[in-house]
Amino acid sequence: MKIHSQTEKLEFVRTFISEAAQQFGFDEDSVQNIVLAVDEACTNIIKHSYEYASNKDIDIRIMTDDHRFEIIITHQGKPFDPKSVEIPDMPAYLASYRKGGLGMYIMRAMMDEIEYKKLPNNITEVHLIKYLRNKISR
Amino acid sequence: MQIKEKMENDVAVLTLKGDLLGEPDTSKVKDKIHSLVGDDVKKVVIDLGGVNYLNSSGLGTLIAALTTTRNAGGDLRLARVGDKVKNLFVITQLVKVFDTYETVERALSSFKTKP
Repeated sequence: MKIHSQTEKLEFVRTFISEAAQQFGFDEDSVQNIVLAVDEACTNIIKHSYEYASNKDIDIRIMTDDHRFEIIITHQGKPFDPKSVEIPDMPAYLASYRKGGLGMYIMRAMMDEIEYKKLPNNITEVHLIKYLRNKISR
Repeated sequence: MQIKEKMENDVAVLTLKGDLLGEPDTSKVKDKIHSLVGDDVKKVVIDLGGVNYLNSSGLGTLIAALTTTRNAGGDLRLARVGDKVKNLFVITQLVKVFDTYETVERALSSFKTKP
């Protein structure tokens, strides 16, 4: 699916991801975690890569393979590598009542793998991957 | 998102209904907290029973609200945190930062036993 870079559009993304993750076989908690990770990734793109420009495109695709559920989010905004953000020690971080950086923490906590790819023509892909542990092979 | 406010003695109870995902809702909550603290109401209970979905912006707003009330010499306590939101609190370890209660009444009582 494709959306414009507006946080109001994330509702459609949440529904799209939720339905696909459910259909793939994830339980309710895992579905919620995946939806939240995608929500955070898209929010980061809108805020940091597109700097709130509302007419830019974000493309979201899902690829599945056996136990692997992968969401690929493509944009042409400023490159942003989630791995470049240092993950804070949460108790110390929260004791100081800071509030930034939580989105990245949530993304990494919710998914099994996060990959970042910089492609030609200023295209950036964020790959969010989750494995279904108990999927019965058919 | 809707915010309902009710005073119980010197404690404000804010009941949130809807999702807390970003602007303009996050500003509504922040403005409400600042307004209460400005009126010298420093003890606040936020009833999250009507909130199904929260993301990092929503969590950040709650952290900001906690900071504002504690810096003013008061506190913020949470009531009726639903399973989905609780899951997020556990993952982000916010359970260690916020005092949470099963009911609004218990959250209110906590201010008597632990002002």
